[in-house]
Amino acid sequence: MNALASSYVSQTKPTSEQLNFVVKKANIPGSIAIWFAILAEMSEFAIMFIVYFLAKVHNPELFHEGPTRLSTLAGTTNTLVMLTSSFFVVRAVIATRTNKPKQSANWLWGAVACGVIYLIIKAFEYHWNTTQGLATETNIFYGVYYYVTFNHFLHVGWGSAGLIWVIYRINTGIYTSNEHEGLINMAVYWHMIDLAWITIFPLLYVIR
Amino acid sequence: MTHKRTIGTLWVVLLALTLLSAYMAERADTSFISASIMAIVLAIKGRIIVDHFMELKKAHIVLRTLMRTYFYVIPSLIIIVYLFPEQIAKWTML
Repeated sequence: MNALASSYVSQTKPTSEQLNFVVKKANIPGSIAIWFAILAEMSEFAIMFIVYFLAKVHNPELFHEGPTRLSTLAGTTNTLVMLTSSFFVVRAVIATRTNKPKQSANWLWGAVACGVIYLIIKAFEYHWNTTQGLATETNIFYGVYYYVTFNHFLHVGWGSAGLIWVIYRINTGIYTSNEHEGLINMAVYWHMIDLAWITIFPLLYVIR
Repeated sequence: MTHKRTIGTLWVVLLALTLLSAYMAERADTSFISASIMAIVLAIKGRIIVDHFMELKKAHIVLRTLMRTYFYVIPSLIIIVYLFPEQIAKWTML
């Protein structure tokens, strides 16, 4: 009988170690809690994408013209920056697994730098839009664009803050090559932010 | 190929696919072929991140399937919305 089953038999609450044992056996990267958060966030973005598709079929001209007035350069650069940040996060995980905490923290600083560059580019893009006379109320395309991209902007902001927290945890020496669940949780959450952006990019900047 | 090298290669592939999309954005209006290419590019990028960056390739089947399905559904919607905009508009009229 495994540890969790015995806790059910004895009717005691399973300890976090017993639950972690179950998660590892089920082969889930990180904790179950972070995956609830990720699936909830992916669903939230999915609703926004459905709104985009519906608004597009009802307003084909506006959605045809809309992307042409956005900065493809800003959208493309931010996609490259987000993908690079995700690559850095993977390298940070590999470094921790091979017992190189200093390297791991450095890779994560690289990811934070990407997050900050993303936010700066986005701020410039919003400013550039304003000078072109584009705003949320211009038409429904820009309404959807601002709603989706600003939502994503916030995710990159708090995600970057989360990365800094994990760097602090690495520096306190809390993670080992075998036990570093907090780092994995942050890594998969950051990749989710990346996944949302790689979907937003073709929908709002590329497809007409 | 070592794990580090695989990840590095996939990162370059992701960047190249992004540049392909950007090139298409600047080039012309969306045709059926370009919409399909963009949908496939999104499906590939999503799958790389889900399988290799999130490391779900060999993870629990429910989690893996949920995350992979996302990148079948959204690319399919891109093509469906491109092909049948009027019908969808008609069905979703309030």
